[in-house]
Amino acid sequence: MSGTTLDDASAPAAPARPSALRMLLRDIGGAFSLILVILIVLLAVLAPWLAPHDPFATDLMAVMEPPSARYWFGTDGQGRDIFSRMLFGLRVTLGMGLASLVAGGLIGAVVGFCAAYYRRLDGLLMRLMDMLLSFPAILFGLALAAIFGPGLTSVIIALSIATVPLMARIVRSAALVVMGLDYIEAARAIGMNDRRLIFRHLAPNCLSSVFVFSTLRLGQVILLGSALSFLGLGAQPPTAELGAMAAQGRNFLFIAPHISVIPSLGIFVIVLAFNLLGDALRDALDPRLRL
Amino acid sequence: MSAPLLEVTGLAKHYPVRKGLILAKQVGTVRAVDGVSFALARGETLALVGESGCGKSTTARLVLRLIEPSAGTIRFDGQDVTGLSGAAMRAMRRRMQIVFQDPYASLNPRLNVAETIAEPMLVHGIGDAASRRRRVEELLSLVGLRAFHAERFPHEFSGGQRQRIGIARALAVEPDLVVCDEPVSALDVSIQAQVVNLLKDLQRRLGLAYLFIAHDLAVVKHVADRIAVMYLGQIVETASKRDLFAAPRHPYTRALLAAIPHPDPQRRGRVKPLGGDVPSPMNPPPGCRFHTRCPFAQERCRQEAPELRTLADGHQAACHFAETLPPAGLDFSGGLSEAAAKRLALYAGARRRAA
Repeated sequence: MSGTTLDDASAPAAPARPSALRMLLRDIGGAFSLILVILIVLLAVLAPWLAPHDPFATDLMAVMEPPSARYWFGTDGQGRDIFSRMLFGLRVTLGMGLASLVAGGLIGAVVGFCAAYYRRLDGLLMRLMDMLLSFPAILFGLALAAIFGPGLTSVIIALSIATVPLMARIVRSAALVVMGLDYIEAARAIGMNDRRLIFRHLAPNCLSSVFVFSTLRLGQVILLGSALSFLGLGAQPPTAELGAMAAQGRNFLFIAPHISVIPSLGIFVIVLAFNLLGDALRDALDPRLRL
Repeated sequence: MSAPLLEVTGLAKHYPVRKGLILAKQVGTVRAVDGVSFALARGETLALVGESGCGKSTTARLVLRLIEPSAGTIRFDGQDVTGLSGAAMRAMRRRMQIVFQDPYASLNPRLNVAETIAEPMLVHGIGDAASRRRRVEELLSLVGLRAFHAERFPHEFSGGQRQRIGIARALAVEPDLVVCDEPVSALDVSIQAQVVNLLKDLQRRLGLAYLFIAHDLAVVKHVADRIAVMYLGQIVETASKRDLFAAPRHPYTRALLAAIPHPDPQRRGRVKPLGGDVPSPMNPPPGCRFHTRCPFAQERCRQEAPELRTLADGHQAACHFAETLPPAGLDFSGGLSEAAAKRLALYAGARRRAA
């Protein structure tokens, strides 16, 4: 026992804290999904330069052609190159997903935070969220398409609304856990004002669950958005969108299955990549696993 | 005791218990703290002891107004802080700080040690970046840590080291009063000695007053000047440390002292442990709150709640029969068990080596 002196066992060679990124890459699924997501985003961003054909140019001499050296993923019913359309469709699909995630997530986060921090509002806000939660997202899509007409905007609004209650719940529970911890009370005892307390102590410690949820939700939102487009409520022709493209091939499913199947596989890969990334992030950001 | 630093009168915290989903109906009240009064002088240590759930920690948080009291007044250095609002209260907080029980929950994992310790100064606008930096290093050495620790994060430290960081944070604004909410009960015994000695050391050097919440009587015996024993939200006995350990007047205090573990086979059978559980604070028994478990309870105890009476100089007890109770029969050396005595000897030994 060394009385009030320090213990020298922990000498200066400070062990660097493994970053969340390193933890993520240590996991094979995490590394794989991260590379896949980066690849998908790059493909979408660089679409105009990567696309071998004009995504809207029809070639009536090459309608419903199976995959070949000239048309990598074949052509659709109007003779448009499916590979080029998928690259551009990726932009629309990802943009739609991100827009609704950001809009819905922000509103949801504010609601969840208010519910946790101002306990008096909790019951009211969370019951409102429960009401929103009881409607399926597809129903919102249908309703908004009926009001504003079908289109990407309607889909984005519908998906945002569907994301709000989920995010609110996540943020509320994370904030409640953090608020019960002593360091929040210590911050109060210091005499900190609410703003500093929230932005310096409360919010940063809720971030990891928000991050994980956002990644997982992005996959779901993309799937829902594609489903709405498939139903004809989302992107309108001739806009290239993965769900809409799958829908266009529906009539030729037995003659030229690739028109539907290839865009559907595209959706599958995107959603899988985000889901895997979300799972890996959850492990990487868990402070209990970080030593 | 001329002008106490902290004076608490009739402090109470009642929590309503509601039932029902929408139209919540109040079905009862939990009397967590029910009329507690005490005073604390500058540089003095008052220990609040009692079983879990007796309201010790709630009292501590009420004193700091981390919880709003339902009734009673808190005077700090002559000023009534019960009614202070917003900015005035925040300014007042500079003079009273808290050290928490769990060193793993009391530090923000995303701030490094320097940021954690500098934060109180930042909030109160003390000094500039350079002077705060110097002060952080000063505080680190004061609590027995090193300057290079400043850049590290809480998870890189052991429990005892974290508790030192917590103490440094509390001292950053040079408070007069530090509330210690079971500051060592989450630590290993060997580390407890270090932290307890550090606290005593700091008290001597900085003239701090401690409100020391604890349930470990060995630690209390080591640090306290005066002791207040709480039961079910009320203080049942206060006395100087010496008086309390030598001649406890309240049956509950006696039971607490008798419950100190004692490795003496001769003693087996001579100590009757207290039966039963603490009654629910939602529905405290009428009369004396301790009568349900008291071996000396009489008819009067069931009817009439005893006042906290002054028996001798500075010795108060809330028992109708405080004067007439049979001798305590705690016939071990100095009123303290051998194990506790050994532990105290260990503390003292560590202290000498450190000095």
